[in-house]
Amino acid sequence: MTDAAFFDGIVKVLFVCVIVTSAYIITTKNLISLVRVYSLQSLVLFAIALALWWYTNEPVLLAIAILTLVFKVLLIPYFIASIQERIRIKRDIDFHFLSPTSSLLISLGLMIAIYITLSRILPGSVYNDTLFFFGAVIGISLVLMGMMVTFSRKRAITKVLGYLSMENGVLLFGIFATELPFIIEFLIVIDLVILILLTTILTVGIDSTLEEYHNRLHRFYLWEEMEESS
Amino acid sequence: MTTDFFLYCIINTVCVALIAPLFVSLVKKVKAWTQGRQGPSLFQTYFTLAKLLKKEVIYSKDASWVSRAAPWICIAATLSASLFVPLVYVTEPMGGIGNIILFLYLLVLARFFMALGGLDAGSSFGGMGSSREMSISAVIEPTTIIVFAALAFVFRSLNIIDMASIAAATGTPVTPTLILLGISLFIILIVETARIPVDNPETHLELTMIHEGMILEQSGRNLALLELSSAVKQVVLMGLLINLIVPWGIATSLSLIPLAEAIGIFIVKAAFLALIIGLFESSMAKMRFFRLPSLFMMAFFFSTLIIIIEVFA
Repeated sequence: MTDAAFFDGIVKVLFVCVIVTSAYIITTKNLISLVRVYSLQSLVLFAIALALWWYTNEPVLLAIAILTLVFKVLLIPYFIASIQERIRIKRDIDFHFLSPTSSLLISLGLMIAIYITLSRILPGSVYNDTLFFFGAVIGISLVLMGMMVTFSRKRAITKVLGYLSMENGVLLFGIFATELPFIIEFLIVIDLVILILLTTILTVGIDSTLEEYHNRLHRFYLWEEMEESS
Repeated sequence: MTTDFFLYCIINTVCVALIAPLFVSLVKKVKAWTQGRQGPSLFQTYFTLAKLLKKEVIYSKDASWVSRAAPWICIAATLSASLFVPLVYVTEPMGGIGNIILFLYLLVLARFFMALGGLDAGSSFGGMGSSREMSISAVIEPTTIIVFAALAFVFRSLNIIDMASIAAATGTPVTPTLILLGISLFIILIVETARIPVDNPETHLELTMIHEGMILEQSGRNLALLELSSAVKQVVLMGLLINLIVPWGIATSLSLIPLAEAIGIFIVKAAFLALIIGLFESSMAKMRFFRLPSLFMMAFFFSTLIIIIEVFA
């Protein structure tokens, strides 16, 4: 088996893993496994970036892979897990607008729509390279599926996870379709970390002084379990 | 009909009928292990079937001919369906045998008569079991069809025997579609054999039972036939999954040694699959009835994805 064919096969299998994890993120109600699956998805992205680096030998890809591993596989899931431990939410069973079943159906439709759209607008050179084209399609689908998670879930913590999975989609699209400058990727990751830190502070640390914040948090379903237990 | 194909039919049917009960006990055994029990012997299902065959058949006073015919129709339909899925030896298909749509319809025929048999005895448990089975099968049907359509797309053939020989010839390298296909077929296997997220095969006299509810009124030889037909159905679906996704070791020529090897390899692979089924079942709680469509939707999603990938990429 040649290098190119081997690379092709590996990356396609990894694409499938990305799709399976994102389908799980859309449908699951268990928050603990949600975080684990997010971390798994990031791990798959790390593997994809690594495979691409091995294939093309561009140091940027290695940097992206390491960035993904450190922040998205280890750091962010750890933070979220610690938030979950404090606020004692284990399950998110409420859905706005969409049930998990219909979200899956809609995401199928989205994928087809994105496929058709991208095949019209992308230049022929990208379109002819099936692997890169598929990477782009899956990347954008992941963005839209993450968006769907963000609006169809009720708990703030699930919304954050939807946003993170959106960012994974951006990363995938960036790797395959365009050359995203490394500095932008780095800034995005920093933003994510700040987002998670803010979520931690907002959900855990701030209510000691400000009544107002407490009430607002209560309204966003972040505080009820805590109140029951105290 | 060529001799080859005739021999294929005989070998396949004998294999299916002989090893089907083994895997029923094996799944039970795995579940017992995970619960810290010893579990029944691996041959327990054979003993049960032998015992039931010796016992007298008793019909309810309301039973019509349906109760008498249903077990025979079930076993006939599932055994014919078993001809469509080569377990250990694969050859050129003949006539309509191996056709994917006929395969589905044979399974549905067995299911339909099982449901009728449940209704026929006039007991309320049977009626509930049948009604639930029919609702589930109405919901799973589109998914099953899409999964099999995806199979047809991947292997570019409408014939299961052809698919198996293509898989055996190419050795099936791990491609992305096959992973998705494996997941979808596994979900179909779980649903069709009435396993835990869908139905609990261990409950009797509980309001949640589906499959057991339908055969509650059957006794003696008829019960043995129904049990055997669900065992056959299970091993056929397992064979489908195994021989399309991991087809190494299936015999392509009719000589004794490859055949014996193929049987051995199949039993090992199927035992591994049974282990996975048992662990999967032990790790899950039974789903609420109205949440089942989201499980089916997973299979639907993945198989539609396969079709998209196969058509566009």
